[in-house]
Amino acid sequence: MRLKVRAYVGWLLVTVMALGVALPAAAQERGITPTEIILGTSAPLSGPAAPWGATARGAEAYIQYINEQGGIHGRTIRFVILDDAYQPPRAVQNVRALVEGTGVFALVGMIGSANAAATRDYIFRNEVVWMTPAVESDPWIGNPNIRYLFVTYPNYYQEAKVLTRYAVEELGLRRIAVIYQNDQYGDNGRRGVIDALAEMGMEPVAAVPYELTDADLSVQALLIGQAQADAVILYATPTHGAMAAAALAQLNPKPQILSSFTLADPIMAALAGEAWNGVIVPSYFPYPDHDEKVARVLEIILERNPDLAQMSFNALAGVTFLEPLLEGLRRAGPDVTKESFVAAMESIQDWDGELLRGISFGPGRRQGLNRIFLARMVNGKPEPLTDWIVYPVEF
Amino acid sequence: MTQLIQRYEEEMALVRGGAAWTGLVLLLGALAALPWLLPGYYVYILNFVGINVIVAIGLNLLVGYTGQISLGHVGFVAIGAYAATHFIRATEASGVVAALGGPFWMAVFIGGAAAAVFGVLVGLPAIRLEGPYLTIVTLGFGLAVQQILINWPAVSGGRIGMFVPQPALGSFVLGSDRSLYYLVWTVVIGMSLVAFNLTRSHVGRAFIAIRDSDIAAEVTGVNLKYYKTLAFAVSAFYAGAAGALLAYVMQYLEPTMFNLYESIYYLAMVVVGGLGTIPGAMFGAVLLTLLQYGLSHAQEYLPVIYGGIVILVMALEPMGLYGRWLKIKLWMKTWPM
Amino acid sequence: MFFWQLVLSGLSIGSLYAVVGLGIVLLYRTSRVLNFAHGDLAMVTTMIAYSLLTSAGVVFAGSVALTLLAAFALGSLFYFIVIRPVKEATLLGQIITTAGFALVLGGAAVVIWGAGTKALPFPLSRFRFYDVFGLRIDQLTIGSFIVSVITMLLLYLLVQKTKFGLAMRAVSQNDAAARVLGIPVRRVYAVTWGVSAVLGAIGGLLLAPVTFVSPTMMFDPFLKGFAAAVLGGLDSLPGVIIGGVILGVVENVFGGYVSTAFKSTVAFVMIIAVLLVRPEGLLGRKFQRRV
Repeated sequence: MRLKVRAYVGWLLVTVMALGVALPAAAQERGITPTEIILGTSAPLSGPAAPWGATARGAEAYIQYINEQGGIHGRTIRFVILDDAYQPPRAVQNVRALVEGTGVFALVGMIGSANAAATRDYIFRNEVVWMTPAVESDPWIGNPNIRYLFVTYPNYYQEAKVLTRYAVEELGLRRIAVIYQNDQYGDNGRRGVIDALAEMGMEPVAAVPYELTDADLSVQALLIGQAQADAVILYATPTHGAMAAAALAQLNPKPQILSSFTLADPIMAALAGEAWNGVIVPSYFPYPDHDEKVARVLEIILERNPDLAQMSFNALAGVTFLEPLLEGLRRAGPDVTKESFVAAMESIQDWDGELLRGISFGPGRRQGLNRIFLARMVNGKPEPLTDWIVYPVEF
Repeated sequence: MTQLIQRYEEEMALVRGGAAWTGLVLLLGALAALPWLLPGYYVYILNFVGINVIVAIGLNLLVGYTGQISLGHVGFVAIGAYAATHFIRATEASGVVAALGGPFWMAVFIGGAAAAVFGVLVGLPAIRLEGPYLTIVTLGFGLAVQQILINWPAVSGGRIGMFVPQPALGSFVLGSDRSLYYLVWTVVIGMSLVAFNLTRSHVGRAFIAIRDSDIAAEVTGVNLKYYKTLAFAVSAFYAGAAGALLAYVMQYLEPTMFNLYESIYYLAMVVVGGLGTIPGAMFGAVLLTLLQYGLSHAQEYLPVIYGGIVILVMALEPMGLYGRWLKIKLWMKTWPM
Repeated sequence: MFFWQLVLSGLSIGSLYAVVGLGIVLLYRTSRVLNFAHGDLAMVTTMIAYSLLTSAGVVFAGSVALTLLAAFALGSLFYFIVIRPVKEATLLGQIITTAGFALVLGGAAVVIWGAGTKALPFPLSRFRFYDVFGLRIDQLTIGSFIVSVITMLLLYLLVQKTKFGLAMRAVSQNDAAARVLGIPVRRVYAVTWGVSAVLGAIGGLLLAPVTFVSPTMMFDPFLKGFAAAVLGGLDSLPGVIIGGVILGVVENVFGGYVSTAFKSTVAFVMIIAVLLVRPEGLLGRKFQRRV
């Protein structure tokens, strides 16, 4: 027994001393030095959500390009990526390490509703600039603490309403169903479909959830067939979206699929094959096939990280998280402070970036983007169907 | 230096001799001083270290001492976390609870007790099941708890999650990293003392007898049903209490936090540290938790490094790192010979 | 009709659970090791097949043959490098070792192949249908069902009709006695690891057109294969096939009529219920021990 207690004491002492070596860092205007602007993100680079790590990698590649061009007002940008494996406790730790340790000027993006929820109070309390957490809009609507938050990401709920109305009014389909992931993202989609249908005096014929761990969605597809739906609105991850599309293609007659913009990736056609043909997908920035500037950005990031070719939509989305921040820094000039940055961001009106178009912020407006357009996938290529469809600004 | 033990009280003492006392005082002093020396986010990590130490000690009582397997321990942590949160929310306004020093001490106990009830339920099949069959029952339990939490918003807040009120002692809010640190580590010290004493009592000896041979244990008069269920209950109590602390430290709960990987990590802590020794469980929990947080910079290489370390420890030292430490100590003592 | 279509798709996914579970059972009954890396091993071999088919441009049959060889090599290599040194470890020690291996394989797959989802070029189509008695069956389902059955038959022949199978059974009964009789026990273990990994690889290849290829593709199929194995009895090869099929059908019918949200949970609830009645699984032998 004595041996044990002594050893225990000894080991804990070693740990204590090892930890004592680490020292806190001091900072003035956090994240802005004479030569550098420091940005950071917590992203899932390992674990079940690792594919979305491509957003951070896309932003990283684009920052490399910006630095090669001389940075912004003579400062280069340092971008620190920490892995959270999609786990809220680690996301909290990463955000705290970035803010208190590294000393970042801004956080760029955040994948996962739970991670954003776990970190947001801390981020708001410490008044950290936060660019576009890739989550639903509900937490921001009516929130008084979002002075340093800037979002250029579509609202899933509004998007689902747009898709539903399009299916009913433009395509003339009456029996609408929804397949959704059993989480915040999917729930926003489900509510959007139900509310849009209710406004037209209708109801969905089926609302079928699936779990993130499911490896086969044939039951979900059979339930859609049983409900005789003629349109299915899909809120899923790319993998599950492709599984669902392939399973739905076995139905007779085959329903029209309308999916969330998160499935706009070219990988979808490769995964689901002919089942992805004719699917209607929104986007919030132009497709590289139809827009030279977007094609150029894609080229830039693929030159610097060829592995991103598989996940090009996610990689570009990562750049969209970053783009308004770069514009804000340019406008704020060389003597940038957090407050002058906010003022610069608020001066962004109907601004076109390389990827994003028609972005507006303002005092009291943090939702920079409130429109999407629809495209139809034909042989793996998107063919635009509509002009921009605008929904109300909510925060 | 070994000294002769002359009296029974000496034999029973947890800490013996001046050197051990000095070490212990130094250690406690260092533990008390740490949050004043480290930046806040390191203190936050230390809080997680403490929480995992509690889970690992409890799991070790079940796995290392009693020889039962649990691949669903995260389920007990989840039950403790949600039970404690509901208790805090329900009693925040209550005068009686405030008079007793606020809900926060009780919440740790309630979290543990709620998990212990489920520990008994999971322990009942353990009377009949062995090895891999018990493994799958506990695995199923862990998965089921998570699925039920996801699909039962009234209890868990669903996938929106649930925010946890900050702990308060009377009118004194304990929200800061430092005060949470003292809360967590006071519980760690208290519960490890309980575990040390439990393993030295007749209960601990019954556990060990069951591990070494349950049939022999039964023959010598150990009530298998009672002690196996008790082991599950005690182990679940530790996990539940840790869950309550987790709720306080995170101040936010979401069902996907409680996934199968966490259960495997808990087991890895116990095995890497050393099965059947309390300091081993502590050391495994400290090492693997620090590794997990420390390797955020290693990015996508983390699972490879982590898994590699686990395999290496298992291949080179199946007694765990604590077993290696004991061997080194023995070697140093007997060195010239 | 809805019911039978659910049963049909349950049979189809259930037979794949069975193939995955067969590898787990084969290994367990021979060497008493519960391999938690079985799923990740299958995933990595499927990734190898993906590389062979796309970057290396090997034809399908050749890729499959090379993949199965690679699986065999990986499985037996793991036995020699890791499992043999920790042979003395407890069941728990082995679970942790194989779980560590699973972490390494899963992490390595992300580093080598990236985290994104990939499509494995497959010669059978999900979109060519046959309507039989009002039920719709696609080419892929028929094909993978046939391959599963052939795999099971070959395994039966290997275990029951070959000299190696006899050695395997002898080792599983009593490895000390087998060693005395001159059976090369280590080699038997290594080959068993290899065959088990090959079974996993077949499962992975057949699942690939349904779940697509990604580092997490085998998470759920592995748990289901494990569940099927326990349901049928961990030391019974026919048991795991029956267990897999029952699991696939029950979870589909439950998903179709009750709830898709609890579809996966019901599998484990069913197992717990069965184990409470029959602690050794449906077809398992009663657990006997010497004191």
